[in-house]
Amino acid sequence: MLKMTHLAKVYRTEVVETYALRDFNIDVKEGEFVAVTGPSGSGKTTFLTIAGLLETFTGGHYHLDGVEVSQLDDNARSRIRNEKIGFIFQAFNLIPDLNVFDNVEVPLRYRGMKAAERKQRIMDALERVGLASRAKHYPAELSGGQQQRVAIARALAGSPRLLLADEPTGNLDTQMARGVMELLEEIHREGATIVMVTHDPELAARAQRNVHVIDGQVVDLAEEPRFHSHAHTAHS
Amino acid sequence: MQIRPILAALRRHKAGTILIALQIALTLAIVCNALFIVHERLDRVRRTTGMNEANVVAVQNLYVGSPGTYLPLMKTDLQALRSMPGVEDAYVTNSFPLRRGGWSTTAQRTADGGKDGVQSALYFGDEHALATLGAKLVAGRNFTSSEIASFTRDQQPAPPQVIVTKALADKMFPDGNALGKTIYYIKGRPSTIIGIVEKLTVPWIDTDFIDNVTIMPLLFDSSYQHFILRTKPGQQDAVFKSVANTLYGVNRMRVLPEKNGVRTFEMVRAAAYDADRGMALLMSIVCGVLLAITAAGIVGLSSFWVGQRRKQIGVRRALGARKSDILSYFMTENFLIALAGVVVGVILALGMNQWMLTQFEMQRLSFTYVLVGVVVLLGLGQAAVFAPALRASRVSPVEATRSV
Ligand SMILES: Nc1ncnc2c1ncn2[C@@H]1O[C@H](COP(=O)(O)OP(=O)(O)O)[C@@H](O)[C@H]1O
Ligand SMILES: [Mg+2]
Repeated sequence: MLKMTHLAKVYRTEVVETYALRDFNIDVKEGEFVAVTGPSGSGKTTFLTIAGLLETFTGGHYHLDGVEVSQLDDNARSRIRNEKIGFIFQAFNLIPDLNVFDNVEVPLRYRGMKAAERKQRIMDALERVGLASRAKHYPAELSGGQQQRVAIARALAGSPRLLLADEPTGNLDTQMARGVMELLEEIHREGATIVMVTHDPELAARAQRNVHVIDGQVVDLAEEPRFHSHAHTAHS
Repeated sequence: MQIRPILAALRRHKAGTILIALQIALTLAIVCNALFIVHERLDRVRRTTGMNEANVVAVQNLYVGSPGTYLPLMKTDLQALRSMPGVEDAYVTNSFPLRRGGWSTTAQRTADGGKDGVQSALYFGDEHALATLGAKLVAGRNFTSSEIASFTRDQQPAPPQVIVTKALADKMFPDGNALGKTIYYIKGRPSTIIGIVEKLTVPWIDTDFIDNVTIMPLLFDSSYQHFILRTKPGQQDAVFKSVANTLYGVNRMRVLPEKNGVRTFEMVRAAAYDADRGMALLMSIVCGVLLAITAAGIVGLSSFWVGQRRKQIGVRRALGARKSDILSYFMTENFLIALAGVVVGVILALGMNQWMLTQFEMQRLSFTYVLVGVVVLLGLGQAAVFAPALRASRVSPVEATRSV
């Protein structure tokens, strides 16, 4: 589903070059639930933005669903984001000017879907996350947990095959985080591939597989136990 | 299109939206009316006089001293002028088109007057008048030299023969055939229409009887006169420069005013329409400035909104918006605001015109101008929002992941 080989991402400014990712290798199979962990600044978000076609990369290869994405133009990338990928951000990223219904509708409109189908999908998605009754509310009128559930509904409404989540529970308390996690697990059981970046070892443990990132590279925890302790101290 | 969510989002930005819409409305109202005034004024400026205006020189002359009668002086002057090498023809008169001062009276069909008169300007002149002016006779004949009479300030101008413009003839005798008919300028003093000229305008530029002119075969025995000269082609400048000396050579007992004493007809025309051209220019500048301010306002607010919404633009891109979707979002948003603005603006424009209709001599705003104004402002809005919208479309989708 998602395969990166020797991938590199360099951020260049006038003074410095930052290797956010270097020789980055990962292979996520269709239907997998992968948790990505690692210390702050290790390149997790960078990996996710490249995986989600939000950003281009500097070197190496990335195949998404069998397609080498570096060949795609901007419109083609937009289309893949719209049809295949669902995003869940740490900061929810709902559009404050739009109510819950209109927020969930955004990706469906970009798909050019008919109004009746849009409405059906929006209500189904809101039903799933238990917020159908809040369709007319604005984001500012909802709690953080509710906002994140709206964001999940927005990601779900387009039935994406790949769900990318960047610390989806990072801004939530434990109670709300658990609710969101249960929702993700349910979505995974229905067949979606999920890649979730998290700081929370408890959540990471609930994924099928953990990938640990340090200094822009994927490391094998079993082979390099000293990183294990390092990773823990980084979060405490 | 995504009109409903755009409107929904605009409801959350009422202040800016209303401000820009109102600015557009006001600009439209003022620009329509101003352009209409420009058009009206330029139309006036472009009006023809019925003369052949090229190669005409007009001289204002004031005899000094009190000789009792000025007729011999006038005749000597005319002789001298007609024999100037560059001059083709000349005559002496009280007024001429675009002079902005002259005589007018009411022409009647009946001897005893009544209320059915038609206002007409009066030009006095001899048999050289038509040729000098270059006015075109379309019926009847010119005056003969034996028909030329004179009158003084104490008398009333009522010659047995007159030449009138077609416009006046048609108004006096709507069933046609004015030639040979009797017409009264003074109660009980009949004049016969012996000739009709195609067109000749009155001295004033803002009357409602612009084409109603009577030429009378008279010399006005007065100290103040206008000599009109038609020069040979290419000789206008030479005559313009030498005519004062020629006249002073004949007789020094006269004053040709320092300013405007001798003028080519181009100068007469320019002076007559100075105010109109000034008004047209002023209104054009007002339009330009208003449009520029409105465009700047739109650029400013759109840029501000784009800056404010970078994050949500990134989110939209992340959720599948193409660059063109973002571009069209901002273009459409502006179009909707501008549309509201022009709807209000059209009402304002018509109201403003209605008010000016009652306050000033102004015509009803033609709908074309409203339409042109609407198109201009919608176009202006789209042009003004384009650069900010383009900048918005270039916001990277990765913006969605950046923390605030
Ligand atoms: N736009 C950018 N420009 C320059 N450096 C960046 C940019 N984005 C991320 N980085 C750098 O890349 C590295 C990885 O960052 P990131 O992927 O955000 O880490 P994480 O999400 O694991 O905390 C960091 O050193 C960060 O400073
Ligand atoms: Mg991060």
